[in-house]
Amino acid sequence: MNDIQLPAIDYAALLPMLIVFGAACVGILVEAFAPRGWRFVIQVSLTIGGLVAGLVAIIVNRDLEITTIGGAVTVDGPGLFLQGAIIILGIVSLGLIAERRLERGGPFVAEAAHAANSDGDKRQEREPGATEVFPLTLFAIAGMMLFCVSGDLLTMFVALEVFSLPLYLLCGLARRRRLISQEAALKYFLLGAFASAFFLYGVALLYGYAGTVSLTGIREGVLQSEQSGILLAAGLALLAIGLLFKAAAVPFHVWTPDVYQGAPTPVTALMAACTKAAAFGGLLRVFNVAFETTAWDWQPVLATVAILTMVVGSILAVAQTDIKRLLAYSSVANAGYLLVGVVSLNGAVGSSLFYLIAYGFSVLGAFAMVTLVRDSEGEATHLSRWAGLGKGSPLFSALFTFLMLGFAGIPLTSGFTSKFALFSSAWDSDQSVLVIVGVLSSVVLAFPYLKVVVLLWLNPPGEETPTVSVPSMLTRAVIFAGVAVTFVLGVAPSFLLDIVADAGPFLAK
Amino acid sequence: MDGYLGSYATLGVLLVVAGAFFVVAYTANRVLRTNAPSAAKSTSYECGLDPAEGSDWAQAQIRYYVYAFLYALFAVESVFLFPWAVVFDGLGMVSVAEMGVFVAVLALGLLYAWRKGVLTWT
Amino acid sequence: MSLLAQGALLAADNTVPTGEAVTFWILAPIALGGAIGMVLARNAVHSALLLVCTMLSLGVFYVLQAGPFIGMVQIIVYTGAIMMLFLFVIMLVGRHTRDSLIEVLRGQRLAAVILGVGFAMLLGTGLARGVGSVTAKGLDEANANGNVEGIAKLLFTKYIFAFEVTSALLITAAIGAMLLAHIEKKPGEKLDQKVLSRNRFTKGNYPGPKSGPGVFATSDSVATPAILPDGTFTERSVSKVVPARELTLTEARPKATNGNKQDGEIR
Repeated sequence: MNDIQLPAIDYAALLPMLIVFGAACVGILVEAFAPRGWRFVIQVSLTIGGLVAGLVAIIVNRDLEITTIGGAVTVDGPGLFLQGAIIILGIVSLGLIAERRLERGGPFVAEAAHAANSDGDKRQEREPGATEVFPLTLFAIAGMMLFCVSGDLLTMFVALEVFSLPLYLLCGLARRRRLISQEAALKYFLLGAFASAFFLYGVALLYGYAGTVSLTGIREGVLQSEQSGILLAAGLALLAIGLLFKAAAVPFHVWTPDVYQGAPTPVTALMAACTKAAAFGGLLRVFNVAFETTAWDWQPVLATVAILTMVVGSILAVAQTDIKRLLAYSSVANAGYLLVGVVSLNGAVGSSLFYLIAYGFSVLGAFAMVTLVRDSEGEATHLSRWAGLGKGSPLFSALFTFLMLGFAGIPLTSGFTSKFALFSSAWDSDQSVLVIVGVLSSVVLAFPYLKVVVLLWLNPPGEETPTVSVPSMLTRAVIFAGVAVTFVLGVAPSFLLDIVADAGPFLAK
Repeated sequence: MDGYLGSYATLGVLLVVAGAFFVVAYTANRVLRTNAPSAAKSTSYECGLDPAEGSDWAQAQIRYYVYAFLYALFAVESVFLFPWAVVFDGLGMVSVAEMGVFVAVLALGLLYAWRKGVLTWT
Repeated sequence: MSLLAQGALLAADNTVPTGEAVTFWILAPIALGGAIGMVLARNAVHSALLLVCTMLSLGVFYVLQAGPFIGMVQIIVYTGAIMMLFLFVIMLVGRHTRDSLIEVLRGQRLAAVILGVGFAMLLGTGLARGVGSVTAKGLDEANANGNVEGIAKLLFTKYIFAFEVTSALLITAAIGAMLLAHIEKKPGEKLDQKVLSRNRFTKGNYPGPKSGPGVFATSDSVATPAILPDGTFTERSVSKVVPARELTLTEARPKATNGNKQDGEIR
């Protein structure tokens, strides 16, 4: 009866997550007790402080390689790198979330409980936005960090829910176009809950197969289990559906354009950068640790999904007329390229991590610039409204053009180096078909980007061209970070490539 | 009537008996009573008044939902408290700390509700 | 506790006890029918009640499979707390609210049904083949000291971090619910008793209580206005949602509640 022992807990390994969780809880206390006028300042500094402290803890931990709490958390090189990437991208996207000059009161609604377009809603139009978004963001980031270092599927599921739930909420809190924002939140929530159910069913079947939910246990169970292989195959398939949904892979991508379009643009940026990193962190860990030894069974299926994702994402991107939807389909196509990295297993872990950082910064920069193009209705996201912006706002258009060229994979941008690194390591892992499809689809995907560039510079302006607003230092910093990293990683990628090479493979014991 | 399922078989038998009692009582009632339905009898009874016309639905206050949600939250907490109570002498102070952190974080939610005025009605 | 251990031993040899089989075959159709009915029912209240049926049946299944704790949790939390939330939502939106039956995407419903049934069959046959002949094992060790303690041992040792992080999940849900459903009163917006009564008794408002419907009236219907002492009707006594009316002679006649059918054809 009294033989219960708490397993050894390495608090140093958990420290980054504990700091961010703790900061989020303090954020709720601030909401409850700080005077209304001070909340915004306190929340922004607390959130940035918490994230920076978490980042410092990760840097201190950089050489750590340990499995703790009886296997529930595995802190290893790629895990720490992903955590760091999520925190850095999170800090950058916070610049957009905290922006308050572009729109009076910021991009979030003051009281979400007022029905859209009601009298109360009209009265609160100029009130400062809800500051609860900051603790919610922190909870989401902390959940993503845990997701990347989960050592068993149960912890992974809890982490998945912890980072999804705040995102569902954040999607519905836009100040402008509230109905479409709420619709996006509802769609994301319902489909996300559905995907979570698949994930959980998969975990149950894998438990039935291997007798454990730990990733390393499943890896060993594959060699020893007496159970039918159907359990393994069905469990793996259902688990993969849950993960691929978050990664926005075809055919589980249908939520992406609607949610990216409806959510407040800062939240879209957070999802495109951080959620992508977390989802692929989870995918890479699950497939590299638990299912590496059964790779022959699932590689063809996942390769098909990767091809579908690349092809469908890039072709549908061509047809888009809204810049946020265009970027959404481009994020679907990019999920396809990253899946090539997942299929290539250990050979491409490093280049996948590199790709996540490079894509994350570019997409943050791009969404930051989307928030600037405004008219009296808020952001003007329809592409026709962007025609001829180059005449009036050459600097804006030049920077946006650079980011678009980066997405298109032109040399001297991170888009080129990251795709090159990813495809060459996939080629070395004998995934030549995937690489060929990837290169072809990125040629197709270059069209929509170049279409935007042509639209900016060569088309005549429409009757009412929106203005490019002047943002505060925060959004400027985000745009600067996005453009600078896209450029630096395109010119001198070697330092980051060294870091991801040092990160080494996932810990699988 | 022994073994693991046996202990539940008693419960099952009790349920069956309860169900049978209900069915028998109502069937007997139906068989024995006089039966003379009329339109007036089947109108809704509202303290002797004519039933009010119009919709039978009034929109509930969304505040009830928030209360119900807070209740669900603490119901989930109590679910975790049960197994904790079973092992807490085995783990000692460690388990007190474990549950302390959990309850403290949930209490934050209640604190937030209190400060936001969710708990006062007017 | 020893009962649990015996039950575990029972389950360990590959035959299903008769009681378990009988209970299963009674409840499985109820659970499945409830689930299908929940999706098909047009009335939201019916959907909710059918869902309760399914959840209760599932709770009994958990108990049958030597997991009494999770079975009770299923009944208390799901059929208790979560269903209550569902009912509050139904009370909020009204039970007459129905799904729009117009298909936005043509053929979507048919495709969804075909794919859904196909997926269920694929998974069902796969599972039947995969676990149809499996011998349960490890149950007696897991439940050695009782089911609750078995769960507690795992929850508070190996999965302690997941457990603590669950609190973050719950608090996010709470904050989210309050964010979406509660409008905070700003300082100055909250009216005290003095202001409230001043507003009530400002010029033009009738300060006294309204006379009740049916007072001094010819009928005790809520729709009949009260007669004031001076003999006039007062519309104020009738609720705004009820149109005031005079009762016709037939309506004012004594109602046949004594089973006499000839008098009963009034309404």
